[in-house]
Amino acid sequence: MILRGIAASDGIGLGRAVCLREINLDYSHIPYSGREAEKARLQAGIAAFARRTAAMAAEIRERVGEKEAEILTGQAAMLADPYMRAQMEEAIEGGACAEAAADGVCTMYAGMFAGVADEAMRQRSADVRDMRRRLLAILLGAEEPDLSQLASGSVLVARDLTPSMTVGLDKENTAAILTETGGWTSHSAILARALGLPAVLSIPKALAFIKDGDRLIVDGGNGAVILHPDEGTRSEYRRRQEAFHAQRALLAGYRDRPTVDADGRRYRLCANVGSAAEARAALHAGAEGIGLFRTEFMFMNRANPPGEAEQYEAYREAARIMAGRDVVIRTLDVGGDKAAACLDMEAEENPFLGCRAIRYCLARPELYKVQLRALLRAGAEGKNIRIMLPMVSCVEEVRAARALLDACKAELEAEQRPYDKDMVMGVMIETPSAALIAGLLAKECGFFSIGTNDLIQYTMAADRGNAQVENLYSVFQPAVLRAIRHVIAAAKEAGIPVGMCGEAAADPAVIPLLIAWGLDEFSVSTASVLSTRACVSRWQGCEADKLARKALEQSTAAGAEGCLRAAVETSRGQAPPA
Amino acid sequence: MVSAKTKVINPQGLHMRPAQIFVSAMKEMDCDVRVLSKGKSADAKSIMSLMLACIKQGAEIEIQCSGPQEEEALRKALELIESGLDDM
Repeated sequence: MILRGIAASDGIGLGRAVCLREINLDYSHIPYSGREAEKARLQAGIAAFARRTAAMAAEIRERVGEKEAEILTGQAAMLADPYMRAQMEEAIEGGACAEAAADGVCTMYAGMFAGVADEAMRQRSADVRDMRRRLLAILLGAEEPDLSQLASGSVLVARDLTPSMTVGLDKENTAAILTETGGWTSHSAILARALGLPAVLSIPKALAFIKDGDRLIVDGGNGAVILHPDEGTRSEYRRRQEAFHAQRALLAGYRDRPTVDADGRRYRLCANVGSAAEARAALHAGAEGIGLFRTEFMFMNRANPPGEAEQYEAYREAARIMAGRDVVIRTLDVGGDKAAACLDMEAEENPFLGCRAIRYCLARPELYKVQLRALLRAGAEGKNIRIMLPMVSCVEEVRAARALLDACKAELEAEQRPYDKDMVMGVMIETPSAALIAGLLAKECGFFSIGTNDLIQYTMAADRGNAQVENLYSVFQPAVLRAIRHVIAAAKEAGIPVGMCGEAAADPAVIPLLIAWGLDEFSVSTASVLSTRACVSRWQGCEADKLARKALEQSTAAGAEGCLRAAVETSRGQAPPA
Repeated sequence: MVSAKTKVINPQGLHMRPAQIFVSAMKEMDCDVRVLSKGKSADAKSIMSLMLACIKQGAEIEIQCSGPQEEEALRKALELIESGLDDM
């Protein structure tokens, strides 16, 4: 049986299930043993909560990060609140046992936070609920499962891994992590990646299918879990696991190296991320900067768009994490296939050709200025934020964005707020029109970044999600290769840096072309950082030039891809496979 | 009783971390400290009370202190709020 979920941490784990079921917090059987005794139990419970929380926070700070630890120190501060304490004691005076008092008061506060208008403050409701759960568990003596001593090859199966569960985790004996909830940036995912454990998250009803001791294979790279694998499957996956470890060990050698080709020419290798947490993971993986920070996720699944303060926080956090390295932040890229309920977008007949990205933002200057102001302010401290405009198709759009940026600067100047006066603004090249007028655009901006996913789609007029036209959707199409070469040449001529942030930048068959044409920056997914660095290191400029000329002589995508892939195979020699 | 008006400048407003810093400083003071904002009054020694007041960046607030250490408490409160509570 194969279960599917989110591929949250790469690697393969084989082992037996250790199921962490929700602990029972029913206290209806607890008798009331008098006000003094109940108050004493409550005090002892709160003291134990504080001790344990401080220990957890220290460990999380060390293993994961300051931001994650703050959730816990915040819980400790809330439980130390004199009103909360007094209200619990009052409930005990009224005849409630310590558990009922804790439950009632925490539930009341969770409800109060859930009802406030401020979005960020509403999230505190989840903290109060977690606090309630943990305090009740302590009072009932229903300890969190002890994960500090596990049998070798344990696969943890849980609804969700909370920080309290994972403190002191016996990671040597943990083979993999599997949960029913949580996404790429959840606590479980961050922890799994920090510990280098394979993880698949958000498998619906995992605990209903899996029992303690069941054999499992977790494929964290593909988001797949095999339940009750037979011997043949197990040996196949053991082989893959060995290959993965061998590959990882080889690539680990590239982690702290500069990105250079075989001639010693330097490139910048960055990562594409969607949050500050992902930026931290990218830095850890060896990225030299962030080449694409997507901001649209911040606008999704919520009732109102994020305000300036919230955006400022998020951008500044990413900038701090990457201190001394550039963070290219793409302004809001909604429309096309990316909807955001809070933005109240009109339905369009042809959304990919409609009012999306920069077009949408320029039509709503008040909304756009919130983001531009947040960016300008967030750059004040480290001066390492760069702004990137998505979906530009003419010079007027760049000028309009610059005018808004200047207006924001003037406002911040008048308000005497710190901001980055020299913040560089660049253009994402992802439409054929932008590629054709690259020479004109280069005079209006500070850098280019080629977004291949959309550039291919628009150049070939082929929907990338439509299987019937997938033969057209290829970076190796002669038209697409010519567009890329032209954009890089235009940037060189104007003297501005040019990068590529689409998936093609990590493709071993595309990399020699980019080296030959003179790309400055590769920006790839975090998982591809080291393989891209290894791949770049294999090429000498003259060989790449020869190959690029040959590839451009091909009149079909199949011809170009064929000659590039064949050359990559022969170039590998003693170097590690990508 | 002494009181003074000021403006919240830190970007998050009196959110978890800044509120923690403020409350722990006020707890040291031997006097009552209240924060008034938009007609609501919050106890500056209670993090729950302060956070539920949802005091955001730019909010005009009034700080009232009464008790033996009122002068010192007011000075300290203004200094903390006006320095951005270590959050700028």
